[in-house]
Amino acid sequence: MNEHRRQILQMLSESKISADEAERLIAALEEPVAGSSSQNASDSGTKARPKYLRVQVDSEDDGHEGPTKVNVRVPMQLLRAGVKLAGLIPPQALHRANVAIHEKGILFDLSQIKPENLEELIDQLSDLSVVVDQKDHATKVKVKVFCE
Amino acid sequence: MIPLVAVVSLRGRESRTLRLWVPLIVLWLVIVPLAVVFSPLIFVGCVACRINPVGAFSVGWQILRALNDTEVEIEHRSAGISICVF
Repeated sequence: MNEHRRQILQMLSESKISADEAERLIAALEEPVAGSSSQNASDSGTKARPKYLRVQVDSEDDGHEGPTKVNVRVPMQLLRAGVKLAGLIPPQALHRANVAIHEKGILFDLSQIKPENLEELIDQLSDLSVVVDQKDHATKVKVKVFCE
Repeated sequence: MIPLVAVVSLRGRESRTLRLWVPLIVLWLVIVPLAVVFSPLIFVGCVACRINPVGAFSVGWQILRALNDTEVEIEHRSAGISICVF
């Protein structure tokens, strides 16, 4: 970029171009840089929020079962509403559900799901991308969970 | 906006696709008067179960609205079913 600017100034000093032309040329050189830097700033500042959670399961079976494909698209709004629904569960039902979850070996407390944590949870989901690739002797399963 | 139409596509093994357009608006038109009639019972039920009835109504409405653009598609061999809510 400096090289182009130097050439323009040299042309101006040699009177090959006028001062106005030199100014326009330098402005033209600077335009794309200013555009891209402002775009980068906007990209980092406001990250596009995902609208859907997508789950794709692709199973290829060499046996008699045949291939199976599952494709589910869930709007993020539905997840938000679902988390709010969890907040409505009565305490005694929540306790029983927690006990049942713990019995299954999952260390998760449903009472920790609160509406104030909701936006943070959804924001974390936007960066989520899970790919599970399992291969057996007869089956090959690929599970993809991501936001779009 | 609550979903107004659901499209159910069924594909058989002969590669024939049956596409059903389900007008959900008809379902809502039936459910709304029933919900109004039974609202006192629903209110009492919510209070008995220690659930905030206003919150329950609000969340129910949000779930209904959020159902828009939901898509579920399952294919097995050459058969498959797809449900899209608009």
